[in-house]
Amino acid sequence: MNAIEAKTPKPVMGLYDKPMWESINAGAMRLQRCRACSKWQYPPGPACPQCLSCDLEWTPVSGRARILSWVVFHRQYLPAYPAPYNSIAVRLEEGPTMITNLEGAMPDAGSIGKDVRLVYVTMPDGVVLPRFSLAE
Amino acid sequence: MNHVQPDYARKHASPRNKRAAAVVGVGHSDWVGDWARCRNGERPNDSYGYAIDAFRNALKDADISRDEVDGLIAGPTTAYERLGELTGINPRWGGQADAVLAVSQAVMAIEAGYAEVIALVYGNDQRSVGTQYGGPEAMGGGAFLSYVYHSPWGLTSQGALYALTLQSFKHARGFTEAEMGEVAVAQRGWSSMNPNAIMRKRITVEDYMASNYVCEPLHLYDYCLINDGGVALIIAEAGRAKRMTEKPVFIESVGRFDLNRGATSLEPRIDDFYLPAQQAAAAQSYELSGLGPKDMDILQVYDSFSVHVPLALEGYGYCGVGEAGKFLREQGVGPGGKLPVNTGGGHLSETYMQGWAHQIECVRQLRGECGERQVADARHVHYTSDVAGKCFSIIYGK
Repeated sequence: MNAIEAKTPKPVMGLYDKPMWESINAGAMRLQRCRACSKWQYPPGPACPQCLSCDLEWTPVSGRARILSWVVFHRQYLPAYPAPYNSIAVRLEEGPTMITNLEGAMPDAGSIGKDVRLVYVTMPDGVVLPRFSLAE
Repeated sequence: MNHVQPDYARKHASPRNKRAAAVVGVGHSDWVGDWARCRNGERPNDSYGYAIDAFRNALKDADISRDEVDGLIAGPTTAYERLGELTGINPRWGGQADAVLAVSQAVMAIEAGYAEVIALVYGNDQRSVGTQYGGPEAMGGGAFLSYVYHSPWGLTSQGALYALTLQSFKHARGFTEAEMGEVAVAQRGWSSMNPNAIMRKRITVEDYMASNYVCEPLHLYDYCLINDGGVALIIAEAGRAKRMTEKPVFIESVGRFDLNRGATSLEPRIDDFYLPAQQAAAAQSYELSGLGPKDMDILQVYDSFSVHVPLALEGYGYCGVGEAGKFLREQGVGPGGKLPVNTGGGHLSETYMQGWAHQIECVRQLRGECGERQVADARHVHYTSDVAGKCFSIIYGK
């Protein structure tokens, strides 16, 4: 199977994930923010884990984040991801942690703590993923 | 928010399970022989077959008949009813649980009077059927959203979750790659003296450093085996246990605390290294038993990946926060080290029985049955588990 045909692994698509992926496809990721206590959440859910309110508002994120951790896969597990490839954990400026990929460079010993910015990458099969690249 | 936090749990150590129950029998399947047969393309048994091998051996070890068993807990990979059917047990109390929860539930059921003699039975044919622990359909994804949620970004395997944990831990603590290597090296030291262990060739830190990464920063040697097998324990009410055997091994106490907040995005691992939950679980079990890290002759750690060990050393109080690397280097956890850890070889080198084999290693060390790898005069053995931030502390004693 070549990279063109390789299917990006499908996201978990529960009732509350769909609006997020629609916003990602539109190039402006939104996450749920609680109207009652202002807490942001990821992944999406039915209620605010902080105050249990269901009054959540889909709100655009700033795109600013910081790297918390990173890995490099040295084996291929998925057709869409030939080795080596990376995954990183970032903390969004809004608070939630997100697992994603570092675009444009491989992470290294100095990566943790670096500022990154949200970019939207179209995979060979057309799936749009929110990824991050190093901020200037 | 924050109604129930580790501090709260530490201050309210109220479980009443002190020495309520004891292990009176242990058994396992032929891990080494079945490994060779699986490598040869055979399927020696299914999960139930391995479970029954182990159960038969545990009954023999306890020197009791099946009719004395009035409780049954099935491991996570075999359906409770079918396992009960195949073992021929109609119990007055039953359940299904993973290793550490099975021991906890047995103690709870006995303490509450629901059963007196409980069989805990586990079998897993994960190697011969090719169970997938990674990928979008990864085993456990139904129970742990984090196992599958990040698959669009290529992060699906259990190894990757712990690789993220280790990378963050290295950065936060100044923990080094060579220090991580000490764990795999130590456990091979133990397994080299264990005839039941699958991987017995000793390795050095140099071998570790030279080995390939799988998911960097984890090397191949940081990963558990995947093999077929079964484990069983018979746990009895304390008084009855004393009448049943000369060498009961008591469960001194059980403590637990879970971190669920932020779990799908892995915050309990990469921010906290499970530390608050480990500390709370430890405090409960220490307070209840009157014992502490200094009283433990052996530590057994759930080690699906080697990184569990430094997290446990810090979390359960064997060294200060930030000192695990120094502890591994200078005190040592292998044969001849200050603190023997995973004396059978653990998941990395003995057998991957998802925490079940660690329980019987605790029992055998306390009975003094471990031959070349026996820790002299072992009186207390501590088992810890922190899978996905569900932290347990179980203390076994004579």
